[in-house]
Amino acid sequence: MVSRDEADPPDNWERQIKKGWLELAILASLRTEELYGLEILRRLEEATDLVVAEGTVYPILSRLKAEGLVETKWVEGDAGHPRKYYWLTSAGRSRATAMARYASGFLGSISQIIAPLLAKEKK
Amino acid sequence: MTQAELLQRRIDAYLAELRRCLGELPPEEVHDILQEIRGHILERTEASGELTEERLVSILKALGRPEEIAPLYQVDSVVAKARTSLSPRIVMRGIQRWSVVSGWGLVLFVLGIVGYATGGSLMLSALAKIISPDRIGAWVGGGHFSIGTVSDPGSRDVLGWWLVPLGLAVGALIVFATTRLLGWTLRFARIRRPTRAPVAA
Repeated sequence: MVSRDEADPPDNWERQIKKGWLELAILASLRTEELYGLEILRRLEEATDLVVAEGTVYPILSRLKAEGLVETKWVEGDAGHPRKYYWLTSAGRSRATAMARYASGFLGSISQIIAPLLAKEKK
Repeated sequence: MTQAELLQRRIDAYLAELRRCLGELPPEEVHDILQEIRGHILERTEASGELTEERLVSILKALGRPEEIAPLYQVDSVVAKARTSLSPRIVMRGIQRWSVVSGWGLVLFVLGIVGYATGGSLMLSALAKIISPDRIGAWVGGGHFSIGTVSDPGSRDVLGWWLVPLGLAVGALIVFATTRLLGWTLRFARIRRPTRAPVAA
């Protein structure tokens, strides 16, 4: 571990990295269906450990709505309280695909750069 | 008071705190946010079987503190922080972030640079006066007024040593006023990235 970790709260850099990926993961989770916030959250938690504080997902969803990438509706279901459902708009779909493309290219190049760090650790 | 009432009170307190932290947002947006977060808490508690205080505390903890979540709704937290900061660096960073998405931000960014440059150079002139009293002054001559070094040999230093306290005070005042003005205008910044045409596939 580098010495910088001791100065920062241990989870700080981790948070920064996760923050960037969270938006893509949220868009990806809405790829095929309408989901409400907690459902999105559950899927993310099952598949990844991207969610640091659950409450951060809702502001991201609200921003995605403001950007026109998702659309929402309140549904009075059997839950006893209304649920806010989200789905991708066509702009959201294109953005998600573009982000996924970028991310996968980015992952390829960054993994080359970080490979020596991991190799060193194995020794 | 029963246990259930106590826990309900705890949820209400959390939501009330969130509402307080969301202050600046339009009421209908606040209503939506509270309804959604309330739904989250209720559903999490229902899923947890018998609700105990311990369970509720961990649900709220996983959600995050209201004062941490609320700024994320308002704007990018950089801008949220810049609104109340007295540090020119943090304020300018917020303005710069705003300028990426808004023409107003760009205007204010330039205004900020002008404000800080004016205030800063006044203060510098005041300090330079101490070091080099003969060359630095507030010069009047040939229909010009300038602060700094003499440009026209015929000009007269109108302030003399008064430049030191006045330059420092007025310079500091301009820097402070610029910071407050920029911070205040950031209240109107609702960072919303423009919905651009998606990147061509």
